[in-house]
Amino acid sequence: MRYRILMVGLAAILLTGVGAVFGLRQGASPTANTAEASSSLPPGQAPVGQLAGSIARAQEHLRAVPRDYVTWAALGSEYVESARVTADPTYYPKAEGALRRSLKLRPTGNPAALVGLGALANARHEFAAARNLAHRVLRMDPYSADAYGVLADAQTQLGDRPAATEAIQHMLDLRPGLAAYARASYDLEQQGRLGDAAALMRRALTDAVDPPDIAFCRYQLGELAWRVGRLGDAETEYSAGQAADPAYLPLLAGHARVAAARGHTAAALAGYAELTARYPSPGYLIDDANLLRATGQPARADQQLTLAAAALRLFRANGGTDDLGAAQLALAQGHPRQAVLAAEREWSRRHFADVADVLGWALHQSGANAKAIYYARKADVLGARNSGYLFHLGMIELSLGRHEDARRDLSAALALNPHFSPLDAPLATAALHRLGPR
Amino acid sequence: MRRLVSLGLAAVGAIGVVLALPARPALAQPTHPLGNFSVNQAIELALHPDRVAATAIVDLAELPTLQERPAVDVNGDGKVSAAESAAYSTRTCNAMAGAVALRVDGHRVPWSVRPAGFAYRPGSAGLHTSRISCTFDAAADLARSVIVDLVNGYRADRIGWREITAAGHDVHIVDPPVPARSVSDWLRSYPADLLGSPLDQRSARLQVEPGYAPGVGATIHLSRGDPVSRWVAAADRKLEGLVGGHLTPFVGVLAVLLALVLGAAHAALPGHGKTVMAAYIAGRRGRPRDAITVGAIVTLTHTGGVIVLGLLLTATASLAGEAVLSWLGVASGALVAAVGVAMLGGVLRRRSSAHHHHGHSHGHDPDHHHGHAQAHDHDHHGHSHPHSSRRARRLSLVGMGIAGGLVPSPSALIVLLGAVGLGRTAFGVLLVAAYGIGMAAMLTAAGLLLVRVRDRWASRPGRTLARLTALAPTGTAALVLCVGLGLAGRAMLGVVH
Repeated sequence: MRYRILMVGLAAILLTGVGAVFGLRQGASPTANTAEASSSLPPGQAPVGQLAGSIARAQEHLRAVPRDYVTWAALGSEYVESARVTADPTYYPKAEGALRRSLKLRPTGNPAALVGLGALANARHEFAAARNLAHRVLRMDPYSADAYGVLADAQTQLGDRPAATEAIQHMLDLRPGLAAYARASYDLEQQGRLGDAAALMRRALTDAVDPPDIAFCRYQLGELAWRVGRLGDAETEYSAGQAADPAYLPLLAGHARVAAARGHTAAALAGYAELTARYPSPGYLIDDANLLRATGQPARADQQLTLAAAALRLFRANGGTDDLGAAQLALAQGHPRQAVLAAEREWSRRHFADVADVLGWALHQSGANAKAIYYARKADVLGARNSGYLFHLGMIELSLGRHEDARRDLSAALALNPHFSPLDAPLATAALHRLGPR
Repeated sequence: MRRLVSLGLAAVGAIGVVLALPARPALAQPTHPLGNFSVNQAIELALHPDRVAATAIVDLAELPTLQERPAVDVNGDGKVSAAESAAYSTRTCNAMAGAVALRVDGHRVPWSVRPAGFAYRPGSAGLHTSRISCTFDAAADLARSVIVDLVNGYRADRIGWREITAAGHDVHIVDPPVPARSVSDWLRSYPADLLGSPLDQRSARLQVEPGYAPGVGATIHLSRGDPVSRWVAAADRKLEGLVGGHLTPFVGVLAVLLALVLGAAHAALPGHGKTVMAAYIAGRRGRPRDAITVGAIVTLTHTGGVIVLGLLLTATASLAGEAVLSWLGVASGALVAAVGVAMLGGVLRRRSSAHHHHGHSHGHDPDHHHGHAQAHDHDHHGHSHPHSSRRARRLSLVGMGIAGGLVPSPSALIVLLGAVGLGRTAFGVLLVAAYGIGMAAMLTAAGLLLVRVRDRWASRPGRTLARLTALAPTGTAALVLCVGLGLAGRAMLGVVH
């Protein structure tokens, strides 16, 4: 009996001794625990499907284990995703809060939090910051597919196409799947290989499970069809997307654009009205204003532009910078010189095709055609085979008296997508008519 | 895995569709948690015996306020006159009253509407927000047992904070599903919580009973429990704190000791069905060795179970921990019941063989030359010990041990998950092992104690006692079976819910 007691005692000492060794090994540890004030609100309905479930589980888990930096990082990334899915930017500060909490709990060796911050920076259009964050993660973990995803998006927006392609290739090698295929598809689209891009996006679609992901893939497929003027195919894809997730707003914009191209102006305006009421983003408001102006409703067009200006003002008040949006607004309001200044600021930050296109067109509108053609060509090179870019290039060439070039580029714009813009397509046709046959 | 895919797509979305309207309220806390284009609503219900009164508040953020401007300033002179603002708030309140459906026992009750105010307030970037209040009234007989349903379908497609509150005045709301007071102070200050999803309460179903419970809404019921449970709960939190806190050798030792004690305490608390094992050991004339065997198996099963479940929960986000616990509870109860059935079967078989004088053998089991049980094994008839029975006995012991350890203690699981989350997996495993050892020690001790007590009693002469002892195996078997069924049934309820 005494022997047994001795054994039990020895075992207990051994066990506690192992505990002590753990204490020794984990010397420097995070700061003292602060009580988590978490009001238990009923879960919202905002994000859909699996995402809502995993957010709720992460929130619940963190109430029990508030110092779990891995789950904090995951929750932050899921908030970024929610912002995309619901078009609700208030998830951004929450995402930032969760990701910073994770970093505070684990300041070094925490790649998941840095990847989340990178995705957040991309979503906020802070592309240079996103690129730097991705590089930081990749120095820590060269096999992080997520970091390559952040890097690819940032490099694409910053205009470094080779770097973006390389990052996407790494991502495809490390983890082929929805995220990698979708990016690779976009990369191919940028190279002008629209057919290959669509094939890859279909592959991404077979990987998509959650309704918002399906809607996203369908929307992209619709856009690819739209770019080459296949209105019926585009409409089919948008409708399929809406069947999967009626809340995915870009699909409304797609439908409105197709309706406008078909000459169903009333339906297009109704679509834009619903879209801008639900989500007053500067881009949609400007599109709506342009269509309103073309259909002889200047007062309502001005109202939408006032809203767009307010939206941009709020964006700046919150610390954001979107000079591309400001330039587009100035163009829509008929202030080309302001548009040039804004677009030049944006161009100094990033060499993206859209920026070059807007800068070139703004220069053309303010009469600086010699400078304009440089940027218009740049846009055409950066974002291959885009009817809008080709139209702008052709009109600038026309102004410079380069009739052959103008005829070629305007024809190309219309050949690619005869419906590319309800306003510009007729202008292109008229210009070609004036130029006459060669 | 999915979460990572989405993470990637988030950024692609930002490129493909420059959709996101970025905001950086890290610089300044936004007025509206749901952003500058949210339409936020609160409905405050007051239930009276003869009517339902409601105050509805709509709080428009900057962009919707600007969007609505042409609807307010109808003549477009850039100014909002008193008449214009009255007309606008009347229109808004009527529209909302039409979309907020009140049903009493399934019958739609119309509101009478009265606008109660409209005002602009300064917002971000030199823009304005606006706030509209409406008063709704509906006659309804609530001086009886009724169901009141409210569904808010006003501007259902807008992003926004939506809340409903309900309070009874001279009527009683049974288990109110919504609070009595607004958490946002009627859309004046929205709670900023990283772990809270925006409130989106679009409907409420209230069961109303006549009675006096003025103004009582959902209150939080804290089950205080007995002092022991309270102490154990406090110790649980302490251990979780230790795992997450700064680790020193002293803290390490303390954590292990605490885990041991907690394991023991959880085994000792009623309702775990583990104590039935002690009865089993006693009733089956078990020996101290049996008690130790069961203890060891409990430790192994529990430690292994917690680790496997913990790893599963960490690896996949789609696994619901509670459901798994419930199913394990069912399995554990079924196992105990199966052991009970086996015991009962064994007892009955022995009974019948004793009556027919078949297979009557004594003391063939070499194990019986050890331990206290030996002394009275020969006291009475009806005991056969063929080898199959010995194996069945072993199996029962193992079954009991597994049943005892199969359901992981939630607190052990939390400790492990916490440790994994902090990158201290090995430390967590050690604590879980300590937990299992504590549990096993308590169970073994209980078993040993019962064996002791039984031996004391059995060594006393007396016919009544001899008869009781003879009945004991049947009784124990029946008890084990009943407890097993009870445990499985209770766990099943958890699965169904």
